[in-house]
Parts: sequence; C-alpha cells; structure tokens
Amino acid sequence: MNEAIFSAQHLNLSFGGVHAVRDVSFEVERGEVFSIIGPNGAGKTTVLNLISRLYDVEGHGRMRFDGSDITEISISEVARRRIARTFQNTELFEHETVLKNLLIGRHVHRRTGLLSELFFTRSVARQELAFRRAAEDVIDLLDLQSYRDQVIANLPYGVRKMVEVARALCIEPKLLLLDEPSSGLNPEETEDVEFWIEDINEQFGATIIMVEHDMNLVSRTSSRVMAMADGAVIAIGESADIQNHPDVQRAYLGD
Amino acid sequence: MRFIFKTGYRQDIDIFKHDGQRFWYGLLVIAALVAPLFLDTFYLGELALVGIYAIAGIGLMLLVGYTGLVSLGHAAFLAIGGYAHAILMTSGLPFPISLILASALCAFIGAIVGLPAMRMTGIYLAIATLAFAFIVEHTIAHLEPLTGGFRGMPVPRPTLLGFDMGATIPFYYICLLLLTTSVVGALNLLRGPTGRAMISIRDSEISAQSIGINLARTKSVAFAISAGFTGLAGGLFAHNLGYLSPDAFTILTSIQLLLMVVVGGLGSLHGVIFGAIFIVLLPQGLAILRDWLPPSVGQLPGLEPGLFGLILVLFLIYEPLGIYGRWRKIRDFFETFPLYRKATHKRQRSYLRTERVR
Amino acid sequence: MEVLQLLISGISLGCVYGLIALGFVLIYKATEMVNFAQGDIMMLGAFIAYTYMNVLGIPFLWGVPATIATMAVFGVLIERIALRRMIGEPPFAVLMITIGLGFIFRAAAGAIWGNEPKSIASPLTGGVLRVGELTVGYENIAVIAGTAILCAALYAFFRFTRLGIAMQATSQNQLAAFYVGIPVKRIFSIVWALSAAIAAVAGILVAPVSLIDPTIGFIGIKAFAAAIVGGFGSLPGAIVGGLIVGIAEQFAGLYGPAGSADVSAYVLLLLMLFVRPEGIFATIQRKKV
Repeated sequence: MNEAIFSAQHLNLSFGGVHAVRDVSFEVERGEVFSIIGPNGAGKTTVLNLISRLYDVEGHGRMRFDGSDITEISISEVARRRIARTFQNTELFEHETVLKNLLIGRHVHRRTGLLSELFFTRSVARQELAFRRAAEDVIDLLDLQSYRDQVIANLPYGVRKMVEVARALCIEPKLLLLDEPSSGLNPEETEDVEFWIEDINEQFGATIIMVEHDMNLVSRTSSRVMAMADGAVIAIGESADIQNHPDVQRAYLGD
Repeated sequence: MRFIFKTGYRQDIDIFKHDGQRFWYGLLVIAALVAPLFLDTFYLGELALVGIYAIAGIGLMLLVGYTGLVSLGHAAFLAIGGYAHAILMTSGLPFPISLILASALCAFIGAIVGLPAMRMTGIYLAIATLAFAFIVEHTIAHLEPLTGGFRGMPVPRPTLLGFDMGATIPFYYICLLLLTTSVVGALNLLRGPTGRAMISIRDSEISAQSIGINLARTKSVAFAISAGFTGLAGGLFAHNLGYLSPDAFTILTSIQLLLMVVVGGLGSLHGVIFGAIFIVLLPQGLAILRDWLPPSVGQLPGLEPGLFGLILVLFLIYEPLGIYGRWRKIRDFFETFPLYRKATHKRQRSYLRTERVR
Repeated sequence: MEVLQLLISGISLGCVYGLIALGFVLIYKATEMVNFAQGDIMMLGAFIAYTYMNVLGIPFLWGVPATIATMAVFGVLIERIALRRMIGEPPFAVLMITIGLGFIFRAAAGAIWGNEPKSIASPLTGGVLRVGELTVGYENIAVIAGTAILCAALYAFFRFTRLGIAMQATSQNQLAAFYVGIPVKRIFSIVWALSAAIAAVAGILVAPVSLIDPTIGFIGIKAFAAAIVGGFGSLPGAIVGGLIVGIAEQFAGLYGPAGSADVSAYVLLLLMLFVRPEGIFATIQRKKV
C-alpha cells in the first residue's frame, strides 16, 4: 500500500443554487491511476478545477499534496508544485506552433532572470537548448514529430488533445489531471490514449487522476475508481467492484 | 517557398534563420551607417525621427502585439521619459546617465501601472491607460515649478564626453545605435522564456496560469519593459523637439503610436519599422496633398487626424496584417511564383463567444 | 442649498454622460464591440439637429424625431460599411476602427459645419423653474426627464419584445444565434441604429445646455468612465455610473483644487478599476473551463 500523494477532505462548492460538489473526500496513492466517473453534472470536472485551484473550496474542506496543504495556493503555484492538467475543451495557445506550446510548458523550470534574457547570455542559450531537448522527449513519447512546426489553429481535434497532454508533461508533473482524455476521439485514438496513459504512468512515474466516461478505458488503465453523482461520492474502489456496484448502476441508469 | 534544412537546435534559437537573412540585414546596417554620406541633413533628421518612433513602437508592440494588452495612453510614457530626461539633464546629469535613469523611471512607473492590470481585461485596461494618460498630461501641465507647466521647458543639447551630439549627424548615429540595441533586446526577449510568457497571456490566460505563469508578475513586467522602451524614445524625442510642452503628448500622440503599430503590422518587429516610416512620411505626404486639394479642404485644421482615422479604418478592413503583412504577401508571391495561393494568408475568423457569464 | 443646486446640475450632466454610456453598453452587450466613436456620433446628432432646426427652420417638435431618424439611418450605414466586415476579427481591431471612425467624423464635422461653436434654440431655452431657493433650468429638467423616459422604454424593449431577447442571445453566442435562425447581421444593424439614435437624443438634450462644436465628442471619454463605474455590461449601470460621474465632477469643480473637475472622471475611473473593476452592477464572471 503506497502512501497517499494527494488527499481531499470535505470539499464543497456551490454555484448560486447548484451544489456542485458535496462533501467530497478521497485519497490518491503515489503512482496510481485514479479515475473519477459519473453521469454528466456529477461534479467531476469541478473536482479537478478545485484541485487545480481554478475554484476556491468553500467551508472547511482541505486538500493536501505531497506533504503540504494546497487548499489556498494560487493557480500558478499549482504548476510549480508539479501538478499539471488538461482541459475538457482544449485551451492551447492557438496562434503558436506545437513546439512553442511545449516550450511554454517548460516555464516552471526557468532559472534565468529578465536582465540576462534581455542580453540572451550563454546561460539563457543553454537553458533554451535544455528546454528544447525536454520538449523533444515529450514529442517522441506522444509521436508528435510531424506536427512540431504546425500552428495549433490548423490542427485536427485529436492532435490538439495530444498537444494538451504533451504540454502538461513538459511541466514534469508528479500529478497529472486529465479531463475526459478520450472524449471526441475515435476508437483507434482511444486505444492510443490507453497506451500513453500507461507510458506516462510508468516512464514519467506520474500519478494520474482522470475524469472519464469510457468504461473500457477506465477499467483497463485504472487501479481505483471513484463514482460520483449529483456532486457527492457514491463509491470508491477497484474498477470491477465499482462497475457492479448497485448505487453506481442506479446513478447511471436511473431506478 | 524557401526550405530551411535544420541540422541542430541552435538554429531554432538563433535570431537569423538562414544566411540569406544575415546578408540582407547586414547590408541594411551598412546602408544605415553610410547614409550621412549620401543623404541631406533634412532626410537624416527624418530618419532619426523614424528611429525614435520605432523605439517607442517596439515598446508598444511588445505590450499590444505580443502580450495582448491594449494601451491607449502610451504617450504618457513618452512624456514622462522626455520630461524626466530634460529635468535630469538640466540639473547637471550627463546625457547617457540621464537617459538611462529616465527610461528606468518609466519602467518603474510602468510596472506600477501594470499591477492592477491583473484584475482588468481588454477594454477596461485600455480605458484605464487612457485615464492614466489624461492624468499624466494634467499633472505635467500643473507641476509648474518642475515642468514649466503650459509654458513648457527648454531641453539641453545632448553631449557625450564633452562633444555636442545635438547636430543632425551625431544625433542620427545616437538614434541608430539605440534603435539597434532596442531591436536586439526585444528579439532576445522574444526568443526567451519571458517573451513566451507574454505571448501565452495573449492567447489564453487560464492556460498560462495552469502552466505556472504568474499573470500579475508577467503583465507588470510587460508594462515595465514597454514603458522603459517608450521612455527611452521620449528622452530622444525631447532632444528632437528642443522644447517640451504638454501639448506635444496628447491623446492624438497615443493614437499615432497605435496607428504605427497597427498599420505597420501587429505582432512583428518589422511592422514597427514599417509603421514608424509610415507615420513620419505621413505629414510630408499630407503637405504635398494639401497643395493639390482645393483650399477649402486643404486648409482644414482637422484634416490630419481625419486622414489618420481614414487610413486606420482602411487598413483594418482591407489589410489587417498591416504593411508588413502586405510585404510578406508580395514576397511570398515572388518566392512561390507561379504557385502562389491567396489562401495561404487567409485569416481565421473567430466568432464571438462571450466570456461574460452572468 | 448650494449642495442641492450642485446635485441637480450634477444629475443633469450625469444624464448626458449616462445616455452616451448607454449607447456604449448597448453595442457592447449585443456585439462585444467597444464603440469609441459614440461621443462623436452624439456630436453629429447635435449638428444634424442644428441643421434641421436653425438652418432649415424646421420647428423643434418635428426636428427632434427627424434628427433621431437620420442618426438611426447613419448608425446602420456605419455598421454596414465599416463594422460588418469586422465580425470575427479580434476586439482590438474593432476598438481601433471605431477610434479611426471618431477621427473621421470629427474632421467631417469640421469641414461641413466649421469649427466655431454654435447653439440650438429650443423652446425650453432660458426658462427656469424656481422651487424655494433652487433654480433649475427647464433644459436640465428636460435632460433628466428625457433620460428617464428613454430608460423605461429600453427596459421594456429588452424585457418584453422578441427583438430584445434576440439581441441578448446574439451578444452571448453569435454562432449559436446564427444556428437558431436569428438574423445576426440584421440585429447588428438594429443595435447600431438604436445606439446612434440614443446618441442623437443625448446630442439634442445637451445642445441647448452648452454650445456645440466638433470637439464635444470628447465627452464620450468621460462617458466611458461612467460605463465602467456602473459596470460595462449593465444598462442601468450606465445611467447610474453617469450620474455618479456627473455629480462628482460638479462637486470637484467647486470644492476641489483648480482644474480637478476635468480629471475627476478619470480619477474616479481608476479608483473603480482598482477597487471593483466589474463596476457597480457586475456582469463579468469567470470563463467556465
């Protein structure tokens, strides 16, 4: 049993009258692939948004990551703690090339200051080359070589999703939050998703929290699954157990 | 289309993409250096002015074109730079030190102005900069003991190591030197992490934050850099004018700077140079046009801003990529002849999807 | 008493700011375009009114609707000729194009009517109402009353008519509006016509109170401050913001240091942006990702 790299306790969030997240608590072990499933409107993406600090936790809820409390850190601090995420509707830098997007992803590893960048000193040049090498490693992992110099706006949807993941990987995350990685993809592309989730988990050693609808993908990649409905947790456990759980089935299929 | 064969990562971080570029830009630098041998002092003076506007334009372009923060009041930094430099030189500081200090002061003020920019989006920021410009203009006009108020103040001539640099030729070289330094500095910034951070803010703030980019800091830095460049230009501008008064830095000046950036071509430093040439040529062209037109039209006081407006509107509708964009299209036409396709440069339309969620 | 007098003139001034701000906000709400030329459209409205009433001798009662109608058509023309092609372009480009248009309008006005200030005679000129120690010009009352009526009409329009609802839909998602069959381009034209008409009303109301010349459009920048103070996406906010700016300006003029009436609007603006950038009636929230 691994120690928990991430734990959430009593997360609550409401938008006006809608109680989107109710008293959600869970723990994620280091190195595992943890999926969050549930019907639409269950609050899954909201949980991810809470973890990546796009929303503030209400009440007394707390979140801990890698030994420290992250409940109140700023959004940009999240990446510096090595938590990366992808978005449901890809949020890429549309007017730039794939490579540029990845290089921007290396930002947290920047060690140079404004003044040395103004003069483009040797250390800046060395850093740029190091960034490039790291970006190329990610490109190799996800097979994006042919798209390297293409502008995002011209790329098809499936490739954009990959670039989103690639950019998140450039942070060298300890925790990767994936928001519906297979949505909008055909079965072939979804298989690829399965492969690179495994690769990221094993090669990069990243813990993954994944919001997903595709049950096949979930059962083939995840060690544990959390089912949500109406903002609350219904069950947490092994994927097979969860899929056969009566409450979960009721939530999806109705009574 | 030229194909650049890459053999190493170094090529991608270099300023020049291939030897052809080195050749042509080298030629340009040499031409600029020997210009005084061939050109008349009037034209040298105009070129120096182009250089000054270009430096201000680099500042504005970094903010507007690359970071996506619109400033409608950049003349304020021109004014602060100009007045600060004149005041410092009058109190005895040598020319280079005074210029650097004036520029640094502007950068500092820019950083402060940029701080609240964190909480403001697009249009709000634009109006805030406009308000800022008005307040600066107002303050300068009312700080009589320091700035001479509405009567204005004279600007001491620039001297370097005891030599008077105010004559046309030495001043031209000063402007040329500072322009080259500014261009290289800007290019350096743009190929490094700071430049990329600025671009990322333009394209998607939420993404940028999720990558670990501190929005407030980066916006502040962008403002500071922008103000610094513009302040530098302001100092040189003061020498060019010879006498400073508040009505040299009005909202019209701010709009002129924006015109330069837009007409030149948003999003590229080439655009700045083209834009600067354009706005320096414009009054000359206007003077010629005036002789041509019937006196009732030609003598109108509001003609120049009206023409600005017309050119701005025409460019935005018919050539949104600016002069540089047109230059690229023409160059591509010849490079890919006879296979040129108009669709290569077609703009992607992005339909309105409101970011206001009520 | 002095305070009350200042208050009334502040409200009257504020109504003018508010009306122009209303025009801004209307266009912004419907198209997310910022129209920097709104003040200059008001200026043109005032000049057209001058032409109809002083030059052509049309009586006031006919001159007002004629001006409004002319400006509405003008609004449609601007939209057709310049703004329509900007659908799909980044907001900065639209902002710049309206700035450019403002310059063109000013130059054209100077060319057509000349730069000396002119005045319009309205039936209300000179008349004053005395209530106790208060003196209120009829024109000021007209400004306030006119603004109130216009606001009520607009409120009803947006709340109860199909067109009003279609406009709101268009402002939120252009593509979706296209898909459900809303004639988006026609809505744009109507929005600009409406906005120009409101500006014309502002012009007519302000003309008897002050002299008109091509530079009175600069009042638009203070109206911007008003729109921001009130909250840029909010119609009532525009009026409230205008009132606040107008009143502040009058008080600053009397009680503040010399020249502060002019900058008061901008200081107020910056203060608001620091403290509560969404304005009093906030309509901006986080983008949902």
